[in-house]
Amino acid sequence: MGHRCASTTREGPPPAAPWYDRPVSRRAVTTAGLVAPLAALLAGCGSTGATGPRTLRVLDTYTNDPDRTIIGGALAAAAAEVGVTLERVSVAGDSLIQRVLQQGSSGTLPDILMLDNPDLQQIASTTALRPFDALGIPTDGYTDGVTAAGTYEGRVYGLAPTVNTVALFYDVPALEAAGIEPPTTWSALREAAAALTRGDRYGIAFCGNATYEGTWQYLPFFWSNGADERDIASPEAAGALDLLAGLVRQGHASTSVLNWSQADVKDQFVAGRAAMMVNGPWQIPELSGVEGLEYDVVTLPTRDPATQAAVAPLGGEVWTVPATGDRAKERLAAQVLTRFLADDSILSMAEQRFTVPGRHALTDAFLERRPEMAAFADLLGDARARTAQLGPDWPATATALYTAVQLALSGQVSAADALREAGEYA
Amino acid sequence: MTTVRHPWLHTAAGILVIAVLLFPIYWMVNASLQPNGATVDTSWLPLAPDLSGYRTALADQGAHLVTSMVVALGSVVLSLAIAVPAAYALAQFRLRWAGLVLFGILISQMIPGIVIANALYGAYADLGLLNSIPGLILADSTAGIPFAILICRAFMQSLPPAVVEAALVDGAGPVRAFVSVVLPISRNAVITAALFTFLFTWSDFLFALTLTTTEDVRPVTLGIYTYLGAYVNDWSAVMATAVLASVPAIVLLVIAQKYVAAGATGGAVK
Amino acid sequence: MTSTLAPVRTRPRPASASPRRRPGAARARQRRLVAALFLGPAVVYLLLFYGYPVVQNVVMGFQHYTISTFFTGQAPWAGLDNYREVVGSPLFRTALLNTVVFTVGSIAGQFALGLGIALFFRRRFPLSGFLRSLILLPWLIPLIAASAVWKWLLDTESGAINRVLVGTGLVDTGVPWLSSTSLALVTVIAVNVWIGIPFNAVILHGGLQGIPDELYEAGALDGATGRRAFRHITWPMLRPVVTVVLVLGVVYTLKVLDIILGLTGGGPANATQTLATQSYQLSFATFDFGQGAAVSNILIVISLVFAAVYLRLNRRAVDE
Repeated sequence: MGHRCASTTREGPPPAAPWYDRPVSRRAVTTAGLVAPLAALLAGCGSTGATGPRTLRVLDTYTNDPDRTIIGGALAAAAAEVGVTLERVSVAGDSLIQRVLQQGSSGTLPDILMLDNPDLQQIASTTALRPFDALGIPTDGYTDGVTAAGTYEGRVYGLAPTVNTVALFYDVPALEAAGIEPPTTWSALREAAAALTRGDRYGIAFCGNATYEGTWQYLPFFWSNGADERDIASPEAAGALDLLAGLVRQGHASTSVLNWSQADVKDQFVAGRAAMMVNGPWQIPELSGVEGLEYDVVTLPTRDPATQAAVAPLGGEVWTVPATGDRAKERLAAQVLTRFLADDSILSMAEQRFTVPGRHALTDAFLERRPEMAAFADLLGDARARTAQLGPDWPATATALYTAVQLALSGQVSAADALREAGEYA
Repeated sequence: MTTVRHPWLHTAAGILVIAVLLFPIYWMVNASLQPNGATVDTSWLPLAPDLSGYRTALADQGAHLVTSMVVALGSVVLSLAIAVPAAYALAQFRLRWAGLVLFGILISQMIPGIVIANALYGAYADLGLLNSIPGLILADSTAGIPFAILICRAFMQSLPPAVVEAALVDGAGPVRAFVSVVLPISRNAVITAALFTFLFTWSDFLFALTLTTTEDVRPVTLGIYTYLGAYVNDWSAVMATAVLASVPAIVLLVIAQKYVAAGATGGAVK
Repeated sequence: MTSTLAPVRTRPRPASASPRRRPGAARARQRRLVAALFLGPAVVYLLLFYGYPVVQNVVMGFQHYTISTFFTGQAPWAGLDNYREVVGSPLFRTALLNTVVFTVGSIAGQFALGLGIALFFRRRFPLSGFLRSLILLPWLIPLIAASAVWKWLLDTESGAINRVLVGTGLVDTGVPWLSSTSLALVTVIAVNVWIGIPFNAVILHGGLQGIPDELYEAGALDGATGRRAFRHITWPMLRPVVTVVLVLGVVYTLKVLDIILGLTGGGPANATQTLATQSYQLSFATFDFGQGAAVSNILIVISLVFAAVYLRLNRRAVDE
């Protein structure tokens, strides 16, 4: 695939802090004893070496274009201003945490690290990250959601330049043909889904699979209805879950939603097998490229818009500075991130990636360039971070939530029982 | 026993069996020729082939294919060099520790790969073996070596002892008896072991994922994985790469199969 | 413990090679040297690449090993807490049962179909060699690609399989292969059988090739042909290879992970959750590595018990 950003050069083979710089764990000693003969055998075959003082290592998950190039460009521009070289590695999203843990245990953390926002507090709680105030990275002006996602025990450890969430995409001609308006209430959503279901087309598609994606798509209904992740077995939570379960039960959404990822949901929508879908703005570039597809996006409906505001879950990646022990490089990394998180840099990434700026002040400028993102920008003003309440304990509850979604959607138990049963796993 | 009365009827039945077995692979080829995203209403035949998946795959994955091939072949050589003599010793020597060693090998097959991968990462980081071909060959052989020992040992147990004894009586040392008598007789077993070692390594994903951190050394399975992003899945490129990656391997397999058949008909054992 | 493995042997050991009879320290030393030469590298390799990880995993099962441990190196001793916790969880019994059903179903399917294909391709007919080599093809396909393809093929509405079934009028509406809690496990087993057929067919075919034709010729004279030839000649001669295929098959199937994660992620509603997926999720979704290690250790013990029992029974059968 070649180098990700044209302006970076690699100074010699990959990183490894000099041995005397790294904490020597008991494990490392044992290992060395066990494997030393092997090493002698292979001496010279392996690649070792350290990066130069002005080369920073970056780890993220943007493996595919266009994101890979867009983020690469923003990083390269920031690095050029600071006068450092970046050595960027992008790994597949699923494997990031594993990679970070491995690097943490072997003392080879990168100088700049991207994390999915719900993971930040977990990682910050291990002392693996440096707080932004100690590094002088500005943290003001971000939306509450972004700040909450990046904060652990009162200090900011990471910030997201741009953020996203989910909303309701709909097939314009299909709704026109059925003579209905985009739904704004749950009952209108149910009716629309019923009216739009015909032949091999379902009224709606969403993701209810057994991963955090399933949790993520349930959350906007869960929160908008007043449910709280600290007590998931509530009538509000059950009401929201029953909305989704009812759509499947009535046959207005496929039972396959139990297995579909968000990408699968998009494929169904593109193929004309769903008239509406719950999905995020990252699908827009691909949807726009589909010939003959005329779609629009609105905020997800709430049960009672008169008393309930739509609450969107905050999505997006935060950028952090790991505690590598090399103070000079940490300072350089902070300078790069400061530049990376500057207004023009954020705006440019937001525009190109169809994501919304993480800072309030940039919303207007952004909407001038991307008016079609209005529904998302509106939602993201007060989007809620998944870890805002539970912090590092979020993964257990997230697991319980998708378990509940699966139990209820498969029709095994009622929504209320599903949440109660799943709560035992948390 | 091996000749049949209606040979072409058998061929037809054989083709049917293989066709059913390989249908998912046909579907993969079919999907690789669809424009990306058209995975839902895929037509039965790629009537309007779209080659963009192949363009992406060729541009991105050429070097990774070579890496995969080098690692797989290296692992075959290493695995056989270590495993075949061991299998012979376990099958034919009267060793006090043989049972214990076999038991260890059997246990080794029960260890989830992720356990090994995580342990090796720490060791490799300390030794500078991350992102290196020897590192991957060594790690990938964890599947091949115990497997090859077990398979070769099972075959070698049925070696007529008289054959080896004759060689020993003729004054050949155990090493020479092994090289000039046992190895040729066991060609079937060795090639079968080689074949599977190759397949284990070729399809390895876990070690590629854990033990490489840059693009310097990247097997094609990991190359495919990077097409699956957090937000975008490039399925046509995934499928195109899978198709491209299987071509050289198929050639190798067909050649190897010929040797398995030849070894059997050669009648060396009989 | 060592005796449990010995039965893999089907015939008596070589009536001992002649050197052994001769007394003499030099001979004995040479024999030890040769044994070390043949077996040594394998033993060293196994200790490095398996012994060390296993010990680490066993220790981890007794520790409160969390995400912090990776950075601070501190993992407080937990005694049996992890085991108590995972065994007491409501999910454990489901996962255990699913693991047993998944393994038994997969092995039965893979072995029966693999043996059938091996026997079929033992005959010689035009293209048999070429067709046989194609059997291995599914193994060349990375599991990510294979599981994605199967997921599309099995989709309730748009999947090719249901399109055929509905098109031919066999069913009225698409079968929810992966989204029904009662079908998903069966479907996942079927896909795993597909993955396992090449392994079984090729190894068993190799074993069949090793049976001398003379045995069948002699058997035919005694009237043993067809089914009787299979029962009295093929099966007993194939036994060592069958043992290896079955033991390894079970051991490999118990730890199958990727295909389940790729198809269902353990769902719907834990219907396809096995100990392997549970261990993975404990470690990498909820970051409780101690509990994840505990589950994988339990899985290893189940493997061990199975192998020991099977090999013992097998020995008894051979002895009789």
